[in-house]
Amino acid sequence: MLDGFTRSFPPLEMLTPEEMESIHRGALYVLEKTGMGITHPAALKQLADAGCSVDVESGRVRFPAWLVEDCMRKVPTHFRLRARNPEQDLMVGGDTFYFMQGMGMQYLELDTWETRPATGAEHRDAMIVADALPNVHLAEAWEIYTDRRGIPPVMVMLENLANGIRYSTKAQVAGNIQDTEIFGIMMAQAIGIDLFPEIEHASPLTIHDGGVNAAYRYMDAAMPICPALGVAMGAQGPATIAGSIVLQVAETMGWAVLTQAYRPGAPIAIHHGAGALDMRTGIDIWGGPAVSVSTTMMNQMLRRYGIPIWSNAGFASDSKKIDFQAGFEKSTGALMAALSGGHLQLFQGGSSTELLFSPELMVMDDDVAGWIGRILQGARITEETLAVDVINEIGPIPGHYLGHGHTREFWNKEDYFMAVADHEPYSAWLTTGKKDMLSRATEKVEEILATHKPAPLSDAEWEAVDDALSEARNHYRSKGVISDADWSDYMDELKLEEGEHLARA
Amino acid sequence: MSERTLTDLATAVKEYDGENAAQLAQQALDEGTEPIVVLDALTACIREVGDAFGAGDLFLPELVGAADAMETAMPIVVAALKAAGGSRTSAGKVVAGTVAGDIHNIGKSIFCTLLTADGFEVIDLGIDVGVDKFIATIKEEEPDVVAMSALLTITAQEQQNVIAALESAGLRDDLKVIVGGGAISQRFAESIGADGYSPTAPGGVTLVKELLA
Ligand code: B12
Repeated sequence: MLDGFTRSFPPLEMLTPEEMESIHRGALYVLEKTGMGITHPAALKQLADAGCSVDVESGRVRFPAWLVEDCMRKVPTHFRLRARNPEQDLMVGGDTFYFMQGMGMQYLELDTWETRPATGAEHRDAMIVADALPNVHLAEAWEIYTDRRGIPPVMVMLENLANGIRYSTKAQVAGNIQDTEIFGIMMAQAIGIDLFPEIEHASPLTIHDGGVNAAYRYMDAAMPICPALGVAMGAQGPATIAGSIVLQVAETMGWAVLTQAYRPGAPIAIHHGAGALDMRTGIDIWGGPAVSVSTTMMNQMLRRYGIPIWSNAGFASDSKKIDFQAGFEKSTGALMAALSGGHLQLFQGGSSTELLFSPELMVMDDDVAGWIGRILQGARITEETLAVDVINEIGPIPGHYLGHGHTREFWNKEDYFMAVADHEPYSAWLTTGKKDMLSRATEKVEEILATHKPAPLSDAEWEAVDDALSEARNHYRSKGVISDADWSDYMDELKLEEGEHLARA
Repeated sequence: MSERTLTDLATAVKEYDGENAAQLAQQALDEGTEPIVVLDALTACIREVGDAFGAGDLFLPELVGAADAMETAMPIVVAALKAAGGSRTSAGKVVAGTVAGDIHNIGKSIFCTLLTADGFEVIDLGIDVGVDKFIATIKEEEPDVVAMSALLTITAQEQQNVIAALESAGLRDDLKVIVGGGAISQRFAESIGADGYSPTAPGGVTLVKELLA
């Protein structure tokens, strides 16, 4: 199992117990009075049987408080997520913080700062870099490069997931679009791994049939699920942080009932991160202070319920470049999520409100992830680390600590030494090409791709992934979801890719 | 007297007070103001709000609030207009929606509001709008333009299905089809036989005007 980063001090809290109670009661009241929009027939029946008041005609479900409280208690506080390499399994929950890289639609060209659809080889390379980076604990394949050259949209999740399984041994995320989860689950089961699926949810207070179907399918496969609450303050949620927390808690409660009525004890995590909307353009401000505050508060609420957390703050900046804005927006958000007790953090490599993903940025962000992880670990206070005897021994100047055994023992345990951040002395920097963090990261990506070989799948496993892919391709082709023209582009693209893919072991 | 009522009506819209706006519209009509004059007053006022948004002096909540207030008063004026034997003369009628399978709402809503603010009559079908619903509404409303939004590459294809359905229903030649949203490009729009595409909502309004010119 991967250790991730363990927080060694109490989580940052912003809400008083009374304020938490107001939020809790507000959410219960919303669910009881207004309820949620749900139309899935089996879900409606299940929820009615569980004790909800269901209006089938209007697709409205109202939840009694006793049922909500009961189901919230049934949600497990931890779950294990099986990776291809068991040593990289994750235990999600408690005081452990994990990073995952992602997400972003297109490939970023560093010379023009423009984006374009990614090729299969670029997606594969991104997975190899993710596999190599020390602070990527979960290597999500599905939502990096959701725009793939030549791949019909319906197949992108599966093609991406296949790359993720093939080129990384770390745990995988998945999603749901047009029933593709069926084939994703097939792939995962053939390899013996879990998927951690982000399930479609529509704020405010709505769960579409596709989301319910996917949730049921993943739960049937005994995999954890993660409803993704998409609240932008002032659009899909109230303009206030407090109101957006009430809404998100109510939605969390709705999902708790939906899942626990279906399968008591089914593990879920909640994916959240409400930000304010820029009212000039309608763009979500993902790097603003509001996201940090709302994440901190929502984390506090979810910890009260013992529900595992996937937090978003800092996962994407609005910046289109790898620049100062991207750096501060992402780092502060992620730091706040970590301090306030999140469990999984989407982080390395994404920017431009999810429109771009960059391996170079992933490498830079990985430095930040290590830096945040180091902060979480705090400082050990022991007789040895207090160093009272050493301080006495060294005394005033000309005494110094450089040559002391205590320094040799501890110097590389107390700080995090970044891989690509610039810590060169100025004079050396002048003579080594005046490199900044981005140029170092570019070199690092090249170095990883030249040297890192992820543990390969066995032939049987590789073929099982292929089989699931072929079945899906044929299914969507025969249903007409993939047109003839798209099919022929697709086949051409796959031929191109064949030449570029890593040799199979 | 009625001059004053029209000024108050504009103020009500600018104060996002739909109820008051509806009441004042009725009052203006009762005072004998021609329905078309009331309509013009409403349109002029919302244009002003739209321009202020474009100039960065007003923001989305104000724009949407004012458009909502205007929409509340509108049915009263349109009914009076019909009773007088006229019809709503808008800059044009647009049926809009985010296509089936897609629940992305924000961009499409901004586009619809800007259109409203520019004097268009807009029927916003919302999100996850299936082919049948588009076709049924188009038959009923006979719009000048149908505007579709898609944020997912997978749902972009739906726009083509709507266009195909328009063709087989014999409706395609009677209207313009425009498309937009994150998953759409000029090339894609051309490939599915749309009449136009814009990457932004304000650009979309200009496009509609050009197509109807
Ligand atoms: C917010 C958001 C959501 C919210 C939506 C909330 C809502 N009710 O609207 C939630 C969380 C629900 C969501 C869900 C999903 N999303 Co989403 N989402 C986004 C996000 C971050 C922002 C979209 C947005 O509102 N932008 C702001 C508005 C103002 O911009 P806009 O919509 O593009 O509109 C502008 C123009 O396009 C234009 N315009 C828009 N429509 C029209 C129409 C016409 C006619 C004209 C002329 C102009 C026009 O005007 C607007 C302003 O100028 C985008 C990424 C991005 N940055 O675009 C991803 C994104 C669109 N989502 C994506 C995905 C994959 C999903 C999910 C499948 C994720 C999942 N859970 O599995 C689900 C799918 C749900 C579904 N069935 O639709 C992908 C799509 C990838 C692809 N290539 O298909 C994106 C690109 C993110 C990514 N990582 O790749 N999402």
